[in-house]
Amino acid sequence: MNPVIETQHLSKWYGNVLGLSDVTLEIEPGITGILGPNGAGKSTFLKLITGQIKPNIGTCSIKGKKIWNNFSLFSLIGFCPEQDAFFDELTGWQFVTGLLRLHHYSPSEAETKARKALEIVELVEDKDRVIKSYSRGMRQRLKFAQAIAHDPEIIVLDEPLNGLDPLGRRKIIRLIKSYKGEGRTIMVSSHVLPEIEAMTKRIILIHQGKIFAQGDIHYIRDLIETHPHIISIKCSDPRLLASNFIQEDFILNVKFSSAENTLLVETNNRDKFFSLIPALSVKKNIEVEEITSPDDNLQAVFDYLVGK
Amino acid sequence: MTIKEKGYAHWDGEFLDKKLPWWPITRYGIKLTFRKKFFKLFFPMSLLPAVVFLAGIYVSERLEDFKFLFRDSVPILQIDPAYFKTYLTEGFLLFIMVIAVIFCGSGLISDDLKHNSLQLYFSRPLKKRDYFLGKTAVIVFFLFLLTLVPGLVFFIMKMIFAGSFKFFLSYPWLPLSVIAYSVLVTAFFSFYALFISSLNKNRRYVAILIFGIYVGSDILREIFYDIFHNHYFSLLSIRGNIQQVGAAIFDQKTPYPIHWILSLLVLTAICVLAWFVLKKKVRGVEIVK
Amino acid sequence: MAQNSKGKLSFFLISLKDVYAFFFFMGKKSKKLKLFFLISIIPVVIALIIKINQFFSDRTPIQGIYIFNNMTVVMYLQFLILLLALFYGTSVCSEEVEGKTLTYLTSRPVSKSALLIGKYAAYTTLIIILTIIGVTLSFFIMNLNDLLNFSLYKILLRDVVVLSLGLICYTSFFTFIGTIMKKSILFGLIFGFGWENVIQYFPGSTQRFAIAHYLKSLLPAPKTGRFSFLMFRLEPSSPLLAIFMILLITGFFLGLACLLFSWKEYIFED
Repeated sequence: MNPVIETQHLSKWYGNVLGLSDVTLEIEPGITGILGPNGAGKSTFLKLITGQIKPNIGTCSIKGKKIWNNFSLFSLIGFCPEQDAFFDELTGWQFVTGLLRLHHYSPSEAETKARKALEIVELVEDKDRVIKSYSRGMRQRLKFAQAIAHDPEIIVLDEPLNGLDPLGRRKIIRLIKSYKGEGRTIMVSSHVLPEIEAMTKRIILIHQGKIFAQGDIHYIRDLIETHPHIISIKCSDPRLLASNFIQEDFILNVKFSSAENTLLVETNNRDKFFSLIPALSVKKNIEVEEITSPDDNLQAVFDYLVGK
Repeated sequence: MTIKEKGYAHWDGEFLDKKLPWWPITRYGIKLTFRKKFFKLFFPMSLLPAVVFLAGIYVSERLEDFKFLFRDSVPILQIDPAYFKTYLTEGFLLFIMVIAVIFCGSGLISDDLKHNSLQLYFSRPLKKRDYFLGKTAVIVFFLFLLTLVPGLVFFIMKMIFAGSFKFFLSYPWLPLSVIAYSVLVTAFFSFYALFISSLNKNRRYVAILIFGIYVGSDILREIFYDIFHNHYFSLLSIRGNIQQVGAAIFDQKTPYPIHWILSLLVLTAICVLAWFVLKKKVRGVEIVK
Repeated sequence: MAQNSKGKLSFFLISLKDVYAFFFFMGKKSKKLKLFFLISIIPVVIALIIKINQFFSDRTPIQGIYIFNNMTVVMYLQFLILLLALFYGTSVCSEEVEGKTLTYLTSRPVSKSALLIGKYAAYTTLIIILTIIGVTLSFFIMNLNDLLNFSLYKILLRDVVVLSLGLICYTSFFTFIGTIMKKSILFGLIFGFGWENVIQYFPGSTQRFAIAHYLKSLLPAPKTGRFSFLMFRLEPSSPLLAIFMILLITGFFLGLACLLFSWKEYIFED
């Protein structure tokens, strides 16, 4: 398949701070997730491919044409930026129709498309309220609406699920997935792995401005699975619990923490481990007070991957 | 499983009222103002008039040495309350003060409204009074550097250059006049700037209003006076009112032949109006209609 | 090739029209316009006060057109249009950058030049309308007794044209300033109320470095007496040259602003 978005040695500095370094990518139609911790360079990358900022080194092209200052390409792109900023004095309706008019649609066309977009994000009932009075979730949905209203071929979404409640998230995820079947190219950025996982298998991992993993999500997941997890358990009899743990082959290490009655367990199979604890707790009559996972975060995964 | 107490740390100590709870607001406001590049250029230049007047005080004590610079009619540089009044109430210094207020004061409340920071302030043990004090103190700091500090420095340097307390004995009330005038003009500009800053979230808009109302009031006075030849129209001008009261404080002839109390009342009325608006505008929760 | 350029030009004009419509609508709705409208009505209030006073006064009233002419110069030319142009001119770019809404505009199939010029045109139209309303109302109030004297309407037309030219020119300059500078307001205030006022009092060619010089050259010099200090030392340029220079300055700064806006990237502060 021909790539829709291509970058060659793309680099961006903000003064002395590196935003993005030597990124060479080809994005094909379908959904591509961009995953990385905060400050990794996701927004910088998305701003570069949507022509909001210009690269210091390298090129970025859409359908073979350079994007910077090439406004004709913007009719193909729908961009949902990360920042929560609007023309606050406008109503939702005026906002979406106004921006559609900038795509040179006639007033009636703009109204039709705006209505459709607002129906998709379920903002039709609130369309005549000023944006200033919208909740965080409504503002996020409005941002999404303006990105899809003109039916773009390429949709770029920078943290589109921020501020949405679980129901809202599911709806947007379902919507994004529906676009895949239409042959569109969608790029979604997030720092939450399960969110990306729900939308696509194709992931690009960004860290400290560099791409250090790209490919199928299962590959990334497998790395996480083999990456030993550390779990902290506070219970009434840590030694008894420890003696039972060390019999299992998926338990790699057991340590007694400096905190009172606390055990630190290292395992390479979280699912098996978590199903073991209730069984042991009942069988051996051990009172479990608290279970926490100190390294259950993307940063730990990245640290591990970078270290690997 | 029994439900165990989470074990919050219960503190048995006494809550002590922090002295100067508004100080962090002031300190931060001053720091922020000094961070502006344009301000770093503007502020030293704004002290130039003070330097010139200080040089005048020096020259007044060394008139014989500088006689060669003048022709036959040697202008006698008289350092008296009129000299102080000239510096402190001169239109040029008032203009500089307005620019300084725009730098340090236009964003004081408007930025908080823009970024919804008022909730952050009032969710701390900070009263509204402390919030206003903190913000006011930022403006007071800069305006005192232009009024009170130079005024007192002139007074002290005059005595030092003269080598005697004669000047103090001649005008013992002069330092009090400098303090009173500085406090008055600073208080007015503080209320004025904070009031306008609370009207809008856009700092640029606030800056224009601060400047526009000040200059516009003067233009109004000029127009009405030229048509009606009535000096009471000077009450329309912020600058005119400040100069009236300033002249009275330094026991000098007022620029307009109307009672200075009227000017003081006008300035006070503006401050009172500002106070009422500020109380209404500054609150923890924004009500969107 | 000619067809290509024709196509590009017509696309540019369509974009301009769409941007203009968007910002004209938005500007019309904004609360700030309402406040500036109130400010621009102040001369009307002054005119009313003067007129009411003249009705109840025993003194021989000063000619309405005389007061109108001089009020126009003092209030509008040297104050109001500067304020309006400064705020709206600098807002063309700064508003979008400070409000972080620039992304919505620069991700549309509209050239950056069309964005800038369209928004500039929309804002200039709004402030010209504001000014015309104020000036016209003041004119009618001050010349209530003389409305059938049609020669006076020429003066109104002249003043409206001069003020409109002033707004067009000042707004383009401040648009340029707003594009290159973050803290454009203070520079604008110093330029508008410092430089523009002071430089006119300099003799010779130095006056020609102020936009106000060209605007005042289009107005008749007041006779000695009241208000003549406003034209003190004015060595006017010919009206044709003045109009040419005003349009040249407008085109120059607008062109420069377009170039900069297209070339520059704007990074939002977090």
